[in-house]
Amino acid sequence: MPAAITIQDVSKSFSTEGQPILAFGPADLEVEEGDFVTLLGPSGCGKSTLLLMIAGLLSCTTGKIVMNHEEVSEPRHDIGMMFQDSTLVPWRTVLGNINLQLELRNLNLDEYSVKISELMESVSLKGYEHLRPHELSGGMQQRAALCQALIHEPKTLLLDEPLGKLDAMTRENIRKDLQNLWMNEKPTVLMVTHSIEEAVQLSSKVCVITPRPGLIDKTIEVKLPWPRDLDVKRSQMFTDYMAEIQEVFQGYGVI
Amino acid sequence: MTFKRIKASIRWLVDSWMVIVFFIAFFLLWELSIDWFSIPRYILPKPSTILVNASADLPRLIDYTYITGLETILGYVTAIVIAIPLGLAITFSSILRRTIYPFFVSIEMTPKIAFAPLFISWLGFGLLPKVIIVFLVCFFPIVLNAILAFGSLSDELDRFSKTTGASILKIFIKIRIPSALPQCFVGFKYAAINATVGATIAEFIGSDQGLGFYIQIQTGNMRTDLAFAGIFLLTIMGLLLFGIVTFVERALIPWHISQRR
Ligand SMILES: Nc1ncnc2c1ncn2[C@@H]1O[C@H](COP(=O)(O)OP(=O)(O)O)[C@@H](O)[C@H]1O
Ligand SMILES: [Mg+2]
Repeated sequence: MPAAITIQDVSKSFSTEGQPILAFGPADLEVEEGDFVTLLGPSGCGKSTLLLMIAGLLSCTTGKIVMNHEEVSEPRHDIGMMFQDSTLVPWRTVLGNINLQLELRNLNLDEYSVKISELMESVSLKGYEHLRPHELSGGMQQRAALCQALIHEPKTLLLDEPLGKLDAMTRENIRKDLQNLWMNEKPTVLMVTHSIEEAVQLSSKVCVITPRPGLIDKTIEVKLPWPRDLDVKRSQMFTDYMAEIQEVFQGYGVI
Repeated sequence: MTFKRIKASIRWLVDSWMVIVFFIAFFLLWELSIDWFSIPRYILPKPSTILVNASADLPRLIDYTYITGLETILGYVTAIVIAIPLGLAITFSSILRRTIYPFFVSIEMTPKIAFAPLFISWLGFGLLPKVIIVFLVCFFPIVLNAILAFGSLSDELDRFSKTTGASILKIFIKIRIPSALPQCFVGFKYAAINATVGATIAEFIGSDQGLGFYIQIQTGNMRTDLAFAGIFLLTIMGLLLFGIVTFVERALIPWHISQRR
């Protein structure tokens, strides 16, 4: 498998009051095409920063990032990105917000109408198309934002804590949907999460990041069978993976 | 939809009954206390006297309302037409932001009305100096709020639009303008409140027509009743202007948090 995303010696410093402060890296990472990689680490370790650098929305202080054989130097358009904070605009309905992605990309709305209703169905937003973001719960807003990030069928997905605001039950459902989508269409996914369980359940690889300044300390390949349903989650192997990662974080003193 | 509207209007009326009752009580009390405390009519006339005497002078009042209204509207609209494009230019040009913007911020501290005597001595008693003064009073709040409005797009929305590869113009129309509108209206409303103040004071300083002129003359003649008539008309004019701006705001940004009930 060729590498879809290669990260070489990448670091990011922000200057705060004239002093450069290292926020992330330097780190190396290779994401293969069709991989589902999660970035797992305590808050403030630079996960969002790394995702923004990969998307070309933030420049690297050192090193370089190559995506689909091209060095990233400006915002990438061939990705679907879900940001940590909402990108739903208050003046459009849920449907209007999903359409916004298509409109900005000059895509034909009619050609995507079936796809939109399927997508909304799969995240249980059917019937809420014509509500505005402020009329939705936090979790529903996040699901709408997920639809907005996926609708143009990108081959690379960058998801920043996409399921962070969901209640436990909905989260389990959306994880299943995300997994189905990934198994069916095999996009390359790079996802940020706080949840060890979520990381083990969804990923082919888990990158464990140290507290600030974040370093990719360990990359764990998760060799569990797909789909990872409740049976798999109850298995000894699943528990072992979780325990392994928990131990790493205990070593950092974050849990 | 229409039914819903009617229902909403009725509810609005019911909700505002306290205000209406208060108004009626206020004028009733005013009417009665003139006799109770035997206040001379040249100090404070009865509302009923104001009404009766004002209608006797109605043609002149209508004429003057038109003139002050014209000064106000011309100055206000010119301020919007010039301030919005300029605000945009300042937001997106770093040179303008480092030159004109600090200049505007410092001028904002000057009471614009202080220029009124100068403009009248430069340009005479006509319409133009009053329009300019209304313009000056309205221009700064509009331009400063526009700069704030266009410059404060959230990082997320800015980044989201960049990942789509959309043209600057498209991002502008679909994202920047709608997100800037609420803050722009803060400026429009503030300016609407000040516009009639500007016109009135400009007329106080040098004029031979208009409601400000009328109030000054009638006060000088001890015709307090007619002065009050002028004040009421100015109040109605101010309310009308503010009402129109608020109506347009509701129509354009019904989704904004300030418009929700
Ligand atoms: N624009 C910025 N300016 C200065 N510091 C920043 C900026 N963005 C992020 N940081 C800092 O970089 C660190 C990593 O931030 P972030 O990538 O958001 O972490 P995470 O997503 O892992 O919680 C944090 O300590 C944060 O304070
Ligand atoms: Mg983050």
